[in-house]
Amino acid sequence: MSYYFAIIGTQDNPLFEYEFGTSKQGGDGQPRFNEQARHMNQFVVHSSLDIVEEVQWTKGDMYLKVVDKFFNNYISCFATAGNVKFLLLHQPPAATAAPSTSRSSTSIGANPTSPQTEEAIKSFFNEVYENYVKAIMSPFYKVNMEIRSPYFRQRVAAAGKKYL
Amino acid sequence: MPPSDNASSPDPIQSLPAAASPSVRLPRQRQSMPVDTNPLSESTISLPYRSNSTRRANVSSASLFASTLSPPSSRSASPAPASNRSTLTGSVFGGGGYRQSLLDTPGSDNPGDPLNLVLKSFVPHVAVHASPDVDDMVREKGFDGGLWELLRPFGERVQGRVTVRDSNGGARTWDDFSVRFVRLGEGLETPEPDRGGVRSPPPPGATNGGKMDRIAQVEAVVDRHLSKQGLDVDVTSPYYSLYLRRLLSGIPLAAHETFAHPVACVVAISSRNPAPIETLRRLYEATSSGDKRLPVWVDQEYLRYYVLVHDEERSDITESIGLFEKMKRNLGLHCHMLRLRSSQSAETDDDSIPLPRSEWMTPAEELEHIEKNAQNEEFEDPTQYIFESDATAIRTFIREMVTSSIVPTMERNISVWNDQVASRRRGLSGRFMSLSKRWAFGSNSKTTTGSGSSNNFDALGFYRPDTPEAIMRKLADYAFMLRDWKLAMSTYELLRGDFQNDKAWKYHAAANEMAALALLIMPQNMSSKTRIETINGMIEQALYSYTVRCGAQFGALRCLILAVELLRLRGGSGIDEAVKLGIRLLDERLVGVVGDALVKERMAICYATKSGVGSQAWGSRRRKSALWSVLAAEAWINQAKYIQAQSCLNDAKRMYSMLPSEYGVQKFTYASEFMARLHSQLKEGLALHDDEGGQAEEKEKEEVEVVDVENETLHSRRSRRTSTLVDGGAGLETAPLTSLAPARLSPGTEEKAKVDKDGFG
Repeated sequence: MSYYFAIIGTQDNPLFEYEFGTSKQGGDGQPRFNEQARHMNQFVVHSSLDIVEEVQWTKGDMYLKVVDKFFNNYISCFATAGNVKFLLLHQPPAATAAPSTSRSSTSIGANPTSPQTEEAIKSFFNEVYENYVKAIMSPFYKVNMEIRSPYFRQRVAAAGKKYL
Repeated sequence: MPPSDNASSPDPIQSLPAAASPSVRLPRQRQSMPVDTNPLSESTISLPYRSNSTRRANVSSASLFASTLSPPSSRSASPAPASNRSTLTGSVFGGGGYRQSLLDTPGSDNPGDPLNLVLKSFVPHVAVHASPDVDDMVREKGFDGGLWELLRPFGERVQGRVTVRDSNGGARTWDDFSVRFVRLGEGLETPEPDRGGVRSPPPPGATNGGKMDRIAQVEAVVDRHLSKQGLDVDVTSPYYSLYLRRLLSGIPLAAHETFAHPVACVVAISSRNPAPIETLRRLYEATSSGDKRLPVWVDQEYLRYYVLVHDEERSDITESIGLFEKMKRNLGLHCHMLRLRSSQSAETDDDSIPLPRSEWMTPAEELEHIEKNAQNEEFEDPTQYIFESDATAIRTFIREMVTSSIVPTMERNISVWNDQVASRRRGLSGRFMSLSKRWAFGSNSKTTTGSGSSNNFDALGFYRPDTPEAIMRKLADYAFMLRDWKLAMSTYELLRGDFQNDKAWKYHAAANEMAALALLIMPQNMSSKTRIETINGMIEQALYSYTVRCGAQFGALRCLILAVELLRLRGGSGIDEAVKLGIRLLDERLVGVVGDALVKERMAICYATKSGVGSQAWGSRRRKSALWSVLAAEAWINQAKYIQAQSCLNDAKRMYSMLPSEYGVQKFTYASEFMARLHSQLKEGLALHDDEGGQAEEKEKEEVEVVDVENETLHSRRSRRTSTLVDGGAGLETAPLTSLAPARLSPGTEEKAKVDKDGFG
C-alpha cells in the first residue's frame, strides 16, 4: 500500500506533504505511485475536501475515518482544531500479487476499509497530531505557513513506519 | 462567496431559460466584420469565411450534423445542468425531494433532458409492412426507404395530447407521447441459448461482435460530429446528449426485453393496387406465417393496422372511398385512409415543408449517411421536402392510430394480463401496499409452483411468448411505455425473482435494470437511504448479470448511464451515488475513448449540480467537479479534440475560482504544473487546429486581416485565439484566483460562461 499524507491549511493550501509506502509485511517503506500520475494524488486529496467539509459536521471525533474513495484511492481524514485537516490517501496495490495478498487479506496493507486499517491510521494521525501541535507552537510559526521543520518530517516518517 | 453575491452574480449552475440561447448564435452571423478589440468577439471574426463552393458543402453537411450544430433551444439541447436544485440531501445539508415523481419536475418537458430521453426511447414500436406499390409511390415522392421513412419523423411527436388510463383507472394526459416506426423484423438480435451458470466474459471486441459494435458505432458517430465541429468556441457541445440518444435509439429486437417487439404493425396498400383485398390478405399472412414472420419468441398477436394510401393525383377518390368502406367491413375498425400526393415536392414549392430529420436514427444508419455524404463530392442536400397537406394527413393518421387503436389495445392488454397472470402471482393482498411483503408472498407461491416455470426457460434458452414470465415481462414493458411506473415496477420486481430462479441471466439483468429505472422515476415514500440501497442492489445485479454472466456490454452501459442520469436528477445524495456509478462505468471500460471523455465531462456536471448552502456553499462539490473537468480536458487533449478540452479546462478553472478559499489547486505543485501543462498543450493544439483547418479559409482570413491590420498590428491570428484562452481562466500562473476572480472577468466571458453551462449539461 502506498500512502500520500498531506496537511491542508484553511485556504486549501498544503502545509506539509509526505509520500511513503507501507513498512508492514516486508514492505520497504517506499511509495509505489505511478510516476506519470503523481499530480493525481494532489487533485484527489484536494477534491475530497468537499466531502470533508460535509462530513466534519456529522461526527464528534476528530478522526473522520475514510471519507472518500476515488477509483482505487481511499482518503482518510483527521480534522484538527483551527480548520487544518490531515488527509491521508492510501492506495492498495493493484491486485497483481495475488498469492501474497490473499494470505494477509485482513492486514493493514491489503484492505483499506478494514477495522485494523482504521485503527492503525487513527494511531498514525494521533501521533502526527501531537507532533504537529508541538511544531506549530514554535513562536515563529504563523497560520497557514508551510511546515518545513526536518524534525517534524522525521517524526511523521517514524509514525508512518510504526503504524502503517 | 458572500451571500450578497449570490443574488447578483450569475451562478453558472443555474440553467438559463432556453430563450437566451439564440444569443449564442448571434456572433456567428457572417456580417460581423467590425473590428473589436474584445478577444471574445474576435474569435468569432476569425471564423472561417468560406468560398462559395465550400460554403455549399458546409450547408449540406450542416443538415447532417444538425443535431449538434443547431442552437440548443431547438431540439438537441444537451441535458440541462442543474434544472432546479434548491435543496440538497446528504448527511447534513438539507433533505431530498423523493416524494415527487421525476415526471413532475420541470426537466421532463425539456427535449434534451435525460429523463425526456428515457421517456422517448422506451416507446411503443410500430412495424411498417407495405406492399410494393406503396413503396413505389413513396419512392416517387423521393423517399427511398419507403413508407417507413416517411412516417418515422412524425411518429416522434404525436400531435396533441394523448390520454392514457393506468391500471387503477386513473387517466393521465401526455403532451409528448411518441411511437417509433420500424421496418418489420429490423434490428433482430438472436438470443444465444444460455444454459445458465457463470460464463467467462468474452474477450473485448471478439465474440459478442454485434453488441460491441453498437457501442463502437455510437462512438464513431459522435466522433464524426466532434471532428465536424467548427472553430467556434461559443457554442458548447450537445455531444453527450447525442451519445445518449444514439445509444438508446434502435433498441434491438431481442428476446430478453419486449420494448422493440412491435405493438402494432401498419399493413399498407395503395390505391394503385389492382387486387387490394387480396394483397392485404397476402401481407397479413406474410406477417403471421410467411417470410416476414418474427422469431418464435416474439408474441405474434400484435395489432394489425390496415392503411389504404390514396394517391391524390392519379387515383379516383370515389373508388378509393369504396375500397376503404370495403376494408372497414372486412377488416374491422383498425383501418385508415391516408391521402398523399404522389409527386415529389421541391424546396421551391409554395406549400412544401422540410421533412423533419428523425432524431432516433440508429447509429449505423447515421454513420452510413455521413459516410455517403463524405464520399459524395457533388453536394446533395439531404433535407427532403414534402407537401404541407401530406404532412397534415400523416399527422392525423398517426394521431388517430395512436389514440384510438394502439393505446386502447395496450391498455386492454395490460388489464387482461394483469388480471389473469400477474395478480394471480401477487396473491389477493393489496397491490401496492408493501413491496417487500408482497415479494415474500410471491416467492412462496413461486416455490410451490416453481418446477413448471423453470422448464419454461431451460428447454429453449428463451421464454415462449405464452409463458407467464414472457407475458408478465410484456405487461411490465407496456406499463413502462405507458408510464404506469407503479405497475411496471411491481411486475419487474416479481420477474426479478423468477428469472433468477430460472437462471435466465439476461432476462434477469434486464428486469433488474428496468425495475431500478422505474423506481427512480416514480415517487416513493421510502427514506432516501433504503431507496438508494434498493436501487443500488438492483443495478448491481443487473450489471453483474449483464457483464459477467452474459457479456452484454451494451446492456450494462445503457443501464449504468441511465441510472447515472436519473440519480443525478434526484439530486442530493443521489448525486454522489450517480458519480459512484459513473466511476464504475469507467472502471468497467464499457465505453471507448469518446465515451470516456464524455462521461468524465458528465461527472463534472453531476457534481456541479449539487449546490451548497450558505455563504460557504457547504455541501457543494466544486472541487470534485473541477477535478472531473480536468480529467475530461486531459482525455480530450489525448484525442486531439482541443475545442472540447478548452471548454472543460475553462470549466475547471471557473469552478476553482468560485471556491471560498483563496487558492484553487495551484498551491499543490504537481497539480498546478499539470494544469499548466494541459494549458500549453491546448494552446499548441489549437494553433495546429487553426493551421490545418484553414486551408480554404486562409484566403478569406487574410482579407479579414487586411481590414483590421491597422488596429491590430501587434496581434497575429494565433495570439488572438490564445487570448481567448487566457481570458477564460486567467491567473493560473499569475495572480491567485480569489473569490473576486469572476468579477474581474469581462462581462462577455460571464455571459459566455452562463450560456456554456446551459447548452452543456
